[in-house]
Amino acid sequence: MTAIDYACTMQEGQIGPDVRERLAQGLRRVSADILGPDAADAPVRFIDIPKGFGFRGGEPSSTSLVRGTAGEPLEQPLRERLLNAIQDMWLETAGCTTDDLVATVRDP
Amino acid sequence: MPYYRCAVPKDSIPYDRRAAIAKAFTDVHCGATGAPRSFVHVVFDEADDRWDTPYFIDGGNRAGRPEAKKRELLEGLTAAFIEHSGVDPSEVGGRITEGPASWTMEGGKILPEPGEETEEWYHHDQRIGAAAAAG
Repeated sequence: MTAIDYACTMQEGQIGPDVRERLAQGLRRVSADILGPDAADAPVRFIDIPKGFGFRGGEPSSTSLVRGTAGEPLEQPLRERLLNAIQDMWLETAGCTTDDLVATVRDP
Repeated sequence: MPYYRCAVPKDSIPYDRRAAIAKAFTDVHCGATGAPRSFVHVVFDEADDRWDTPYFIDGGNRAGRPEAKKRELLEGLTAAFIEHSGVDPSEVGGRITEGPASWTMEGGKILPEPGEETEEWYHHDQRIGAAAAAG
């Protein structure tokens, strides 16, 4: 069982391949820091929403959704540390704002 | 959250109808819950054919609302989808699944449980609008 795996859904054309690779590395890094070394090779998938198929507030969306599924239930303080670390890493790497990201870390 | 994913057959719903459905979903959700409009996400997926009906509304919401509210939401969403898509009602299915609000961070904050929203949370739309205006 993996410590965590990630599915990142983003709007087509917003984040290029080189940045995606850095985002995947960043997700693995912060996950390993917080959940332990088993998370260092966490699977990360990227899913594109084609232009015109994603909306937020009834308008075209620029938001990315990072959805992590933990391998075992997490205590809430640990989850919040991970969510904050994901957000900080994502904003710095992708150059976006908090309003462009929704991050979820679910229990299995 | 909420996150409404509409499974639809390929090339079945043109952009203007998708946009109208997304607006209507936002109206339905915000009308029923009072949530800020900017929290409502709607995505159309032409590759998802795992449902019993060709058109399917797969909603993900914060847990904790009464059953009657969840029913009201799904009925409103389904009616809006049928109205704006022009699809026969027999071809449309839907469900709303829920997860703890505390699993999700949006707008830089852990989501509040339904009923525990602060005044600031309701002003999220204004904050986004101001940020957009500032460039």
